[in-house]
Amino acid sequence: MSAFDSPQNRAASGTGYFASLSRWNIFEILFWLALASLYFWPHADLVLMSQIFIWGLFAMSLDVLLGYRGIPSLGHAAFFGIGAYVAGYCGKFGWTEPISALVLAMLVAAGVGWLTGKLVQRVAGVALLMVTLGLNLILYDLVHRSTEITGGDDGLQGIVIDPVLGLFRFDIFGRTAFWYALIVTFVLFVATRAIIKSPFGLALTGARENPRRMIMLGAPVEGDVSRAFALAAALAGASGALLTQTTQFVAPSSLSFQRSADVLVILIIGGAGRLYGGFIGALIFLFLRDWLAAISPVYWYFWIGLLLVVVVSFFRKGILPTIEDVYTRWRGRRGASP
Amino acid sequence: MRIVCSALAATALTLAGFAAQAQETVKIGILQSFSGITSLGGQQADGAVKLFMKKYGDTAGGKKIELIRRDTTGPNPEVAKRLVQEVVTRERVNLLIGPDYTPNTLAAAPILMEAKVPSFVTGAATTGIIGEKSKYSTRTFFAVPQLCRPLASYAVKNGWKRVYVAVADFAPGHDCEKYFLEALKEANGELAGNVRIPVSNPEFSGYMQRMRDAKADAVFIFMPIGELSIGILRAINDSGLKSTGIKIMGTGDITDETYIDAVGDAAIGTITTGIYSTQHNSPLNKEFVKEWAELNGKQRIGWGALAVYDSMRLTYDALNAQGAGKFDADKFISFVHGRTFESPRGPVTIDKNNGDIIQNIYIRRVDKVDGVLQNVEIESFSNVGFK
Amino acid sequence: MSAVLTVLFNGIAYGFLLFIMSVGLSVTLGMMNFVNLAQASFSMFGGYVMVMAMQWFGVPFLLTLPLVFLVIGVLSVVMERLVFRHFYNTDDLTQVLLTIGLVFMSIATATYFWGGTYQRIDMPPWLIGQREIFGLTLETYRIFLIVIGLAMALALILGLERTRFGAMVRACVDNRRVAGACGLNTGLIFALTFAVGGGLAGLGGALSANLLGLDPNFPLRYLVYLLIIVSVGGMGTISGTLIAGIALGVADVMGKYYFPQFGGFVIYVLTVLCMLWRPQGLMGRKA
Repeated sequence: MSAFDSPQNRAASGTGYFASLSRWNIFEILFWLALASLYFWPHADLVLMSQIFIWGLFAMSLDVLLGYRGIPSLGHAAFFGIGAYVAGYCGKFGWTEPISALVLAMLVAAGVGWLTGKLVQRVAGVALLMVTLGLNLILYDLVHRSTEITGGDDGLQGIVIDPVLGLFRFDIFGRTAFWYALIVTFVLFVATRAIIKSPFGLALTGARENPRRMIMLGAPVEGDVSRAFALAAALAGASGALLTQTTQFVAPSSLSFQRSADVLVILIIGGAGRLYGGFIGALIFLFLRDWLAAISPVYWYFWIGLLLVVVVSFFRKGILPTIEDVYTRWRGRRGASP
Repeated sequence: MRIVCSALAATALTLAGFAAQAQETVKIGILQSFSGITSLGGQQADGAVKLFMKKYGDTAGGKKIELIRRDTTGPNPEVAKRLVQEVVTRERVNLLIGPDYTPNTLAAAPILMEAKVPSFVTGAATTGIIGEKSKYSTRTFFAVPQLCRPLASYAVKNGWKRVYVAVADFAPGHDCEKYFLEALKEANGELAGNVRIPVSNPEFSGYMQRMRDAKADAVFIFMPIGELSIGILRAINDSGLKSTGIKIMGTGDITDETYIDAVGDAAIGTITTGIYSTQHNSPLNKEFVKEWAELNGKQRIGWGALAVYDSMRLTYDALNAQGAGKFDADKFISFVHGRTFESPRGPVTIDKNNGDIIQNIYIRRVDKVDGVLQNVEIESFSNVGFK
Repeated sequence: MSAVLTVLFNGIAYGFLLFIMSVGLSVTLGMMNFVNLAQASFSMFGGYVMVMAMQWFGVPFLLTLPLVFLVIGVLSVVMERLVFRHFYNTDDLTQVLLTIGLVFMSIATATYFWGGTYQRIDMPPWLIGQREIFGLTLETYRIFLIVIGLAMALALILGLERTRFGAMVRACVDNRRVAGACGLNTGLIFALTFAVGGGLAGLGGALSANLLGLDPNFPLRYLVYLLIIVSVGGMGTISGTLIAGIALGVADVMGKYYFPQFGGFVIYVLTVLCMLWRPQGLMGRKA
């Protein structure tokens, strides 16, 4: 069990169960306060932080699929890129207000996600990986080649993003980007958390553990796949839109296979099925990558590779779950011998 | 919530804190791709900077030069823009060499404008990215039309009227295709056919057969630096297309000195346009090539290295002209823009109005010189503009 | 007509190239159920071993091939004993993370030793140029690839799929404890299979370097192709990998010849359709 949803207070009754499930504990509150406090670090790289939040949100969106429904996707960057380009086109064609553009990006991505879910709901395992990968590559190729429409490799030109709420323009220090990314991420996290801790979320986990049994219980397992895809895609689309808006630029790298692979790596490092795993993974992976790339621009691949090997060797389930295990064992031992 | 509000208020701070720092050093950010598929660019930049500073020392205009290297990881605007923000706001660099690649350059432009940081474009060739939207930028590389137009008239003049055009299927390729087709029309050449080749493509035989069917006199190729260039030249050779007598032309990327050895003898006879060849016959270049070899060993000189080298040249000249006192970006730019100087590639002029480059373009043919594959200059066009 | 046949031949040859590149992964992933993305790195090192043997020691090209197989085979056993065997019981994603980490490390290592640029690869004269066969002008190296590919496929199908050793490997993968209890030395069998898979990957790198170029980023650039071929073919079948390679190779080359405007799409679209139609792969057994 996890330190983040402590099992102690689970009541037997249904509503009581879900209420206790969704109660916030001290670690969660501390976690978000810690993220916000990063702003006040002396000499903080705010732009990097905002991108860490964006990656964290993106990884969380994959977590909805992988961690809670057991669906691995090698093409998750497709949804990220769709969100990023929708936000980009909004800014290009005069819809310069960021928050509504973000919502639109989420809706479009969710629609595409729902369709993808319909398409793949009967495949699993390797086939699913290859279908998502293939779709991602096809979309990338389309965007990359259609220079007239998307700007292709050069990126989409002429994106204008208004100041947030008409007050805070995106400055070169990344201050607005920091708070905008953090607040949007937090709001979406709260919403996702509520969904995951609801009966729907429980049904997802059930289908992950034993789909046959869920079908016998009368749960709409296949329909849930497209719903989970829609939710995950909406979140991924939001993170893509955030990236476009905070950098005021979008290029095909936003939907590259590399990004799909990176987000999978980030989520697994952090630990899947926890909601927080993606954020922990993003913090560790991106901080280290930035740091390693700065001190060893040529050979940082080696060190990031070593990092991955070390993480899977010593934190087999991911960093967060391993720490949780250690913590629960420690709590357990202390509880046993007072 | 109060914390959040007060923090948001802090964002209203302007750039006031920026200019305040006194300095005895000038910080130059080197934003190039040092890792991954595109790591060659970074190695070349390193080699050029090292050579220049060995020769001219690490001070200019009485100020110590300090370098900040960052890895853009390739065409990745998300990373490149973040790094530009980072080195501009935290490291407080005075000027930048880079970032490379068109999307990186475009993404970084607003930051550099706002912070008034001069930058040198050493790896992006797209037209129109230098100019009013980035008046602090200077291009020391080349602009696509400079390389893509001249071969059309050259081919027609030599009686190769039917030309097949093969470009890489991405924005720079489309750009180049447009300029070449325009020029071919003006020269009354004939298009035998054209094809756009995907950028992740290990297999060319289908395209080779198309070219063969088209019965063209010559084929014009634009490929990005890397395995595609090697692959297509080798494929033309292996498939027997080359021995049919078809002329092979292209922009100099396909016979770039940094990997022409990997193409091998398949490259011989290829005719390309280029801004620079190590074979360029000038005392300055001979010295440059010799010193490069002494310092960087077997690694050969690519255009990126030259662009970085010339950027350093302009930087040192501008700093020396400025003399003591604080680094002044506007003075720097007004010195650099409009300047003409002798580079190892030949005479170079930076356009006064928008900082783009005017330079000689050479037609070269690949030949073995002392057992080494070289781009030998056979003709030149003087002071070719960037449009 | 001769153009069509030449294109068809080129497609088949490309298919054999894809098969040769991915058969190593097919052995470890398909037969042993171990997601070893580092096979792509073994391929790269195989290419470098070939280049070094030829350039530094003047070893003839054909002789470098068994050498590559041996060196990379030994290298992969070492890696198996040191690293991989501790991860046999973990889930796919952990193996992906582990081996992609190794791929990153291998890229930096290759850059360190051989520099970031492309290697010069000189084939012997008898493999360069074209030959006239049945009135068609065919590339010699492609003919060579088809011959070698056929030989490898036969050797593997007869040697791994249809033999006692093959049965032992499958027994170990299906249930290691029971296989061990039946007296099989499971550790040895796994190590041997790994050696074969690694050696084949190295061979794939050495044979493809001439056409694909060789630089430190070889693994990442071609990883996707390896995954596509192995999964379209179906896990655990050598013949499936061969059929998938040829089918996709022919489709790709034909597509580029007849519909160049679709670019590189063809191979991806076919992959998606194929995996939706037969999730277990062309030749895979239904799970």
